Order: sequence, then C-alpha cells, then structure tokens
Amino acid sequence: MNRIFRVAGWMVLGTLGAGALGAIALHRGEPLNATWFVVAAVCCYLVAYRLYSAFVAAKILALDDTRATPCERHDDGRDFVPTNKWVLFGHHFAAIAGPGPLVGPTLAAQFGYLPGTLWLIAGAAFAGCVQDFVILFCSIRRDGKSIGQMAREEVSERGGFIAQLAVLAIMTILLAVIGLVVVNALKSSPWATFTLAMTIPIALLLGLYLRFVRPGRVLEASIMGVALVLFVVVAGQWVADSPSWSRVFTLGGVALAFAIIAYGFAASALPVWLLLAPRDYLSAFIKAGAIFSLAAGILFVRPQVLMPPLTRFIDGTGPVFAGKIFPFCFITIACGAISGFHSLISSGTTPKMILRESHARFIGYGAMLLESFVGVMAMVAACAMPPGVYFAINSPPSIVGSTPEAVSATMSGWGYTLAPQTMPALAHSVGELTLYNRAGGAPSLAVGMAQIFSSTIGGERLLSIWYHFAIMFEALFILTVLDAGTRVGRFMVQDLGGRFWKPFGRTGWMPGVLVSSAIIVALWGYFLYQGVVDPLGGINSLWPLFGISNQLLAAVALVVATTILMKMGRLRWIWVTLLPMAWLVTITMTASYQKIFDVNPRIGFLANAKALAAQVAAGKIPAEKIAETQRLIFNQRLDAAVTGVLAAMILVLIVEALVDWYAILSRRKESVLHESPYVATRWAADFSGAAHGDD
Amino acid sequence: MRYAAKSGSRFLRRFWRGLREWCGDAAYETYLRSKSTQSSSGRALSPAEFYVEQLNRRYSKPNRCC
Repeated sequence: MNRIFRVAGWMVLGTLGAGALGAIALHRGEPLNATWFVVAAVCCYLVAYRLYSAFVAAKILALDDTRATPCERHDDGRDFVPTNKWVLFGHHFAAIAGPGPLVGPTLAAQFGYLPGTLWLIAGAAFAGCVQDFVILFCSIRRDGKSIGQMAREEVSERGGFIAQLAVLAIMTILLAVIGLVVVNALKSSPWATFTLAMTIPIALLLGLYLRFVRPGRVLEASIMGVALVLFVVVAGQWVADSPSWSRVFTLGGVALAFAIIAYGFAASALPVWLLLAPRDYLSAFIKAGAIFSLAAGILFVRPQVLMPPLTRFIDGTGPVFAGKIFPFCFITIACGAISGFHSLISSGTTPKMILRESHARFIGYGAMLLESFVGVMAMVAACAMPPGVYFAINSPPSIVGSTPEAVSATMSGWGYTLAPQTMPALAHSVGELTLYNRAGGAPSLAVGMAQIFSSTIGGERLLSIWYHFAIMFEALFILTVLDAGTRVGRFMVQDLGGRFWKPFGRTGWMPGVLVSSAIIVALWGYFLYQGVVDPLGGINSLWPLFGISNQLLAAVALVVATTILMKMGRLRWIWVTLLPMAWLVTITMTASYQKIFDVNPRIGFLANAKALAAQVAAGKIPAEKIAETQRLIFNQRLDAAVTGVLAAMILVLIVEALVDWYAILSRRKESVLHESPYVATRWAADFSGAAHGDD
Repeated sequence: MRYAAKSGSRFLRRFWRGLREWCGDAAYETYLRSKSTQSSSGRALSPAEFYVEQLNRRYSKPNRCC
C-alpha cells in the first residue's frame, strides 16, 4: 500500500513539474509569475534525483557501502577526515558555487528566459550532476586522486598533461573575466568601491585574531566579520554623500583593474592566514546567507517575469554578447548547467572526506542540482526587471548610445519601452551615479536582487542599501575566487618551473613565491586589462572564452569518466557520460570555430582584427588612437590563438581517447582499472562521522 | 510537548555541531580526536600550528570554483 502511495506521489510531482515546465515554454502574452520557474525547477530536480541519479548509482556505478572509503583507510585528521554527509554537502556546495551560476544566466537572459532556463534544468540533470557524481565516485575509488592523475592513469600520459594545461588555461581566463565583472560593478561607484575596499582591512583584522588571539575560532571571528561588513555596506552611503571622500573612491575601469591586479598579487604572496583565508570565511557566510535570502525573497514576492520567452537576439545580434542561441546560450550559461571546474573539487577535497560510497549520490549529484537552482534564481532576478532596463545596464555605449535619449531610442527600436528618465531615476534610487554600460551581469543581478529584497523588507527606502549589499556579496565572493585561484595558479607555475630549476619549485622560497605570483597575475591581468579597454565591452570576448575553456575541462572530465566506465565493463550504459561529452564537444568546437573564423567582427576575433586593420589602413583612425588600435588588433589575434589552442587540446584528447577505446573494445589492449583494492569497512552502518559521534 | 522540546534541542545541537564543522571551527578538535586514535607517537600540533598548517594545505589546491 505504501508503495502505491509513494509511486502516486512521484507521479503527481512529475506531472506538476511537467505542467510548470509546459507553462514556462508555451506561455505567451501576459507576464509569467516566477513561481512557475521555482515549481518547474524543484519538481524536475526531485524527479531527476529520485530516478536518474538512483539509476546511475545502482546500475552503473554500483555504489558499495561495505567498502572502506579513503577517509577510513587514511584518517589523518587533516585531509582525510570522516565527515557527516550534510556537513560535507555544505562543504562541497560552498566550494562549487561561485559567480558562474549567477553571472552566466544573467548574461544569457538576452536570449529570453526560455532557452537558458531549459538548459539550466536539463543540462544539470543529464550532464553537470552526472559529471560531478561520476568523477566523485571515480576519485573515491582511487584514494582521492585528482582529475589530472586519473586522466594520466586511465586515459594516457598526454591526457593527464592536457588536463593540467586545461586547468591552467581555465584558471587564467576565469580570473580575468571575473575580475572584469568586479570592475564593471565598481566603476564610478564610490559606495560599492568603499564597501569592497573595507573588506580588506576587516579580513586582515580577522586574520590576526584567528592567528594570534583565538587560533582557529572561525565561527566567532566570522560573526564579528560579517557584522563589520554589514556596517561598511551602510557606511558606504556616507562616503558616497561626502564630496571629498566620494572623489577618493570614484575610480575608472583601468584604475580598478590595476587595484584588483595588485590585490591578487598580495593575496597570493602574503601568508594565507593573513588575508586569503579570513576573506574566504566572510565570503562563505555571506554567500550562504544571500543565496537563501534570494530564494526566500523570490518565494515571498513572487515577481512577474517581464522578459519575453525568446528575444530577437537569438539571431546572434545581441548587445550583451554576439552569437546565435546555438552554441552561445550553452557556452554562456556555463557553471549553472555543467562546469568542468567542479571536477577539480569532486576529485579534490570531497572524496577524501566522504564516509560512504552511497553519499556520493547526495553530495555529487545533489549539490550540483542546488547550484543549478541558484542559476534559475539568477535568471528569474534578471528577467524580473523590464527588458529595456536589463539591456540598458548590460550593453556597451558603442551599441546602444551614450545619452539617455539615445539609449531609449535604441530600446524602442528593439521593441522595448524605456523612458529617457527611467535609468537616471533607477540609478539615483539605488545610490549610483549611473547604471549605463555596466556589462558583466553583476549590476543587473544586483538591481534584480535589490528589487526582490526591498519588496520584502524596507520598500523603496532601503533599495540603495539592498543594491549595495548585493554588489558587495557578488564582488566579495568573486574576489575570493580570484585570490584563491591566483594562489593555486602560483603553485602550478612553481610546480612547472621547478621541473627546470629545482629551487623555483620550493613553495616557501620567497623569490620563487614573488616571481611565480607575478607570472600568474600578469597572465590573467593582461586579459583583464584587455577586457577593460575593449570598446565592445570586454565581456563580449572574454565570457565566451571562459565558457569554452570551462566546457573544455568538462569534456576532459567526461572523457575520463567514459573511459573508466568502459573499463568497468559498463558498455551498455556508456551513453550516460558519452552523450553529454559528445554534446559538449559539439558546442565547444562550434563556438571555438565561430569565435575564430566568423565573418561578423562582433563574433569572430580574426574578422574584428581585420576590420580594425582595414580602418587603420584607410586612415579612418585618428593618429593618437593608432597605437591603441594596434593593441586591440593584437588582442583579437591573441584571443583567436588562445581559442585555437583550447580547441586543439580537446581534439587531441578526443583522438587519444578514441584510439584507447578502440584498443580496449577490440581487445588489443588490456583493460586495466587503477582502482584501490577493496577493503571492507569497519564502521557500523549508523556511524555518522568523527565529530558527530553516534547521535 | 516535552518530546517536541527534546527533539528541537537535539536538532539545534546537531545543527550547531554541523555549522562548526562546516566552517572549520571544530577542525582542531577533530584533529586531536583523530590523533588520539592513531598509534603514531608524534607530538600533537598546537591550535595555532594546526590552524596555519591546515590553511596552507587547503589553499594550495583548487578549493573554490567558478
């Protein structure tokens, strides 16, 4: 009887999800309520978790709870720590949830709400969650080995090398593009710049407290830090209102870019306890709080989604970034549906802390579903504002014009209503000088979040506080990714340099630390500067490049997963990883080709370089701008070369894997799995982790 | 009523423990517990030593995603 009720319950849930999804897809005319998005997403996630992840866990991976996991075999209280599954879920989610699922869907909203929302839900259920889950499982069975080590052992030496290169490439481009998002969020905003700048002394204070006063007392220090950060959000208004202080904190794009580059260098070279770690603590608490508040706000306010399901920009002429819906919607959404970077976390800390193999389903598959839900919320927040406002915030002046009247005229030409006084009034009500030309997703998301929050608490009066809280939240955790990434990049550079000259590889040797920090900062700093001075807005070039590199790493992870499944004898179910891999390779290669060779200068790097060179040759560029234009031409060619190298890397890896798979299937090569030997667990079935004891 | 209060307080206790574990507040206690169950005779690190050593290890590999 119970079984009948359970089946009926799941059928009702599935029908509800299908109905809500149908409403989103087929609704036309009147604005749609955001509740439909929440219902559709949650029902689809629950059904996917209950059915698809259970199928993968039982039929394909055959998770075995009698097998001791790495934390039981190597328990050292440091890396290998048995951890309660809810706590580890929190750890894993905090590690994988970065700015990508917030920024990507916000940018992809230029196609309308429908394509992005569908890909966020379907991409996560069938690709992103599967990748995270399978890689986590593979790493658990290999004592917590990294994706690079697994690629080397299971695919080939070259596969491992490509994985390492892909990580370095994605790191460089990721850091540049998120730096650009912060620059665009802070430029000409004394309030936001002051607030973010103040988080540095707050972090230093916490760092000293945690090191010398109460070592390791993270919770109490974080509570103090969060209180101080909230105070500086409010204090930012006083700074913005003071003419002299306001001048100090009103910075242009280039000045902000150099400030971020200097910060990245300092965070990488200074002791980790002083700046990087305390900022990470602050960021983790504020991130968790803001995400849950956004979810609660959307459920409470139930805003109308004003963006149409599809916009005219699916034809590739979008002002935020150029390119058709295929492949650029998928490239742009990035982390909210599938992220190669997650494979580094799934084969990093998490497998060393997991108690049971069966927890991999909840943690690997489940945490990615939650990340996808964050993406859906970002999409709702972006689409809840009038389309004219959304496009005015995210478009460069070279496309929409530089005066309120010109922007309004462009918007009405596109079919969106935007009175000339709307944007200045909105900027005034959120405490900003201007909201024009703020591409990057952060300001438009902050406007969306502020409108949702202020409808819940404070009304119009608190709109500016909520806006700056949202900007601080986004910038704070973007900078946390930036400083942590720079430090990891520094270790990679030191590791690489150490192969040629041993002292350089020593992580404690100060000259090596400084030089390697300077190298990695110079690498991403160059791309950041290039984005800031790009007349097309920077995001147009850099975000697709980031998307391509991220999906490339996901393809690498899925190649490793497919190879391992093949060696495990799961040929019948190989499509579970093979199809997402084929899809990723298709979109990555198509996007790479278009970004390099498309004849439209807004899409193709080479076409843009050629158009600029033709303008120089025809004498259309003023003499004082020629050097700058030559630099732009070089940058476009450099971007084309980087895209080409990324595409070549994936091609080499695919060929390598195909040869390997053919050899295995035709029995020309022995299929050897590099799993750790089976050891039976000694833990009781109800054991729930070291710190949790038995209750 | 008493049952609800008991369940509530047990939930809050578990939540508090989970929160401390999640943010790293309980890392040193976990380390000492693990150390006491191991047969190795090495000296246990002080809280400050453990804190710095743990951070250096954690931030030398990717631990924050995009």
